[in-house]
Amino acid sequence: MRANRLLKSLGTAGRWVALGGFLAWSIFPLYLVVASSFKPARDIFEVPPRLIFQPTLENYVRLWNDWPVFFDGLINSLIVTLGATLLTVVASALAGWVFSRFSSRFLTLSAFSMIVLRLLPPIVITLPLFPLVNYVGLNDTHLILILLYATFFISLGSWIMKASFDQIPRELEEAGAVDGASFAGILRHISMPLGIPGMIAAGVFVFIFAWNEYLFAFIFTTTAAKTAPVVLSEIMGSATGVDWGVLFAAATIQLVPIVAVLILAQRYLIEGLTSGSVKG
Amino acid sequence: MRRLSAIPFLLTSPANVLTGVFIVIPAIYVLVLSFSASSYGTAPTFVGLANYATLLSDPYFWRASWNTFIVVNAVVYIELALALGLTVLLMSTRHFRRTIITLLLLPYAVSEVVGVLMVKFMFDPGVGMASRALTSLGLPEIAWTTQPNQALALVILLSVWHHVPFTFLIVYTARLSLPGELYEAARVDGANAWRRFTNVTFPLLLPAVLIALLFRYIFAFRIFVEVWLLTRGGPARQTEVLAVYLYKSAFSYDDFGLAAATAWAMVILSLLIATPYLRLMYKRMFVDAR
Repeated sequence: MRANRLLKSLGTAGRWVALGGFLAWSIFPLYLVVASSFKPARDIFEVPPRLIFQPTLENYVRLWNDWPVFFDGLINSLIVTLGATLLTVVASALAGWVFSRFSSRFLTLSAFSMIVLRLLPPIVITLPLFPLVNYVGLNDTHLILILLYATFFISLGSWIMKASFDQIPRELEEAGAVDGASFAGILRHISMPLGIPGMIAAGVFVFIFAWNEYLFAFIFTTTAAKTAPVVLSEIMGSATGVDWGVLFAAATIQLVPIVAVLILAQRYLIEGLTSGSVKG
Repeated sequence: MRRLSAIPFLLTSPANVLTGVFIVIPAIYVLVLSFSASSYGTAPTFVGLANYATLLSDPYFWRASWNTFIVVNAVVYIELALALGLTVLLMSTRHFRRTIITLLLLPYAVSEVVGVLMVKFMFDPGVGMASRALTSLGLPEIAWTTQPNQALALVILLSVWHHVPFTFLIVYTARLSLPGELYEAARVDGANAWRRFTNVTFPLLLPAVLIALLFRYIFAFRIFVEVWLLTRGGPARQTEVLAVYLYKSAFSYDDFGLAAATAWAMVILSLLIATPYLRLMYKRMFVDAR
């Protein structure tokens, strides 16, 4: 009996050790980035990393002085991210509502083709788009990134929205029709407000994606619309040698807001993931 | 609802126009390009299957395919093992579950660029923390700047770190929806933890596991940024994956025809990987729909 108890508490201890290991694996690299950004250059490579140190802002000051383009990149990232999120949410909400409320051969085909197209590797379409985008003058604009990011998340977004509208009883809309509301009025005042949780879920995915995206931004922007991840990669590959302090300061600024968004919107993320991929 | 027949068409049009303009038409045009010789700024000329022939006889293409194959399979199955382990661990834990999940999800929000930065920092030859930890254990450090296979190992490590949250969430939410009575019954029958996992949990989680696997296969197959920022495909093009090979053909070697052929090879492989999922969805949407 005592041996049994011992075995059991050993098992519990083992579980916590394993869980602690997983947590360290998940968080430690992030801690390292953030903590190093506040360390003086000579302490950054110290092993083992010092847990208590005199924090300094000198890396951030150097980033501000040496890489003003990074802050332009942040503004570009913000514009592109907000634009792409808005466009995705609007287009997905409308399409998702239709997929939920109507059925026809055309709609099924449209929904199915969206699934198929979501599976194509994005790099494939950069080839023909690159000359075309240059030709129509969309190269290095916020708009081209907004359009591309939205395109690749409309499929997931529409599925999340369909699942979300499927939960909302049609009777609410029918009651509106009985009260004499117009079609647009029903959509605006009844259906769409009820779909807001779904819209947040659809929005979170594209928001995180757009804030972090590298490939499209790398190919389609050069100066005016260059986003923060691209500038970050340029700091990393800087010809004058890597200034780790500056790099960590930039990485921290790029990283912390989006991690905060993830934590705040976690519930929606989990819901969206289950309705968007497992059910749909 | 009959008189509203224009409305579904109208309301789905933003979604359909975007996918049409930015995916369907470019994908078809890539197909045309793949049968032509062209470089940036020149008019394509028809060359038949010559690009595909060049592609299949290019040893760098085969190296990139092999690298992609290894990386994708390693990433997908390591993630799955970790996700299953985490799920079992978390189910047997009563405390702090929400906080733990939040912390486990954090890598999902980290950009690939920052991920590469972390890897480069920790595995910096000679001074990086992980490099020194390895040498202090008497192990050789990971020579990712010179050894292609070790560079790919770091790519796998980073990719797994990024995507465990996705796989974990799918498996974990599926596990949450399994009825507790099953486990009571298994316990009464005297099944130990391992037997409960292999005979009850895993078979019931299989649908979710397959979905997670499929999605991860499809998305892992695109891998570009990690490789590009870590090694640029070098040394001597030995660490290229298909997306990097495509990018270099088009934008470094200015051979759009070869790149287009690579693109279609990737499209076909993606669709092949996705066939089970697509068949399932097709059946659900067209056949089961009343």
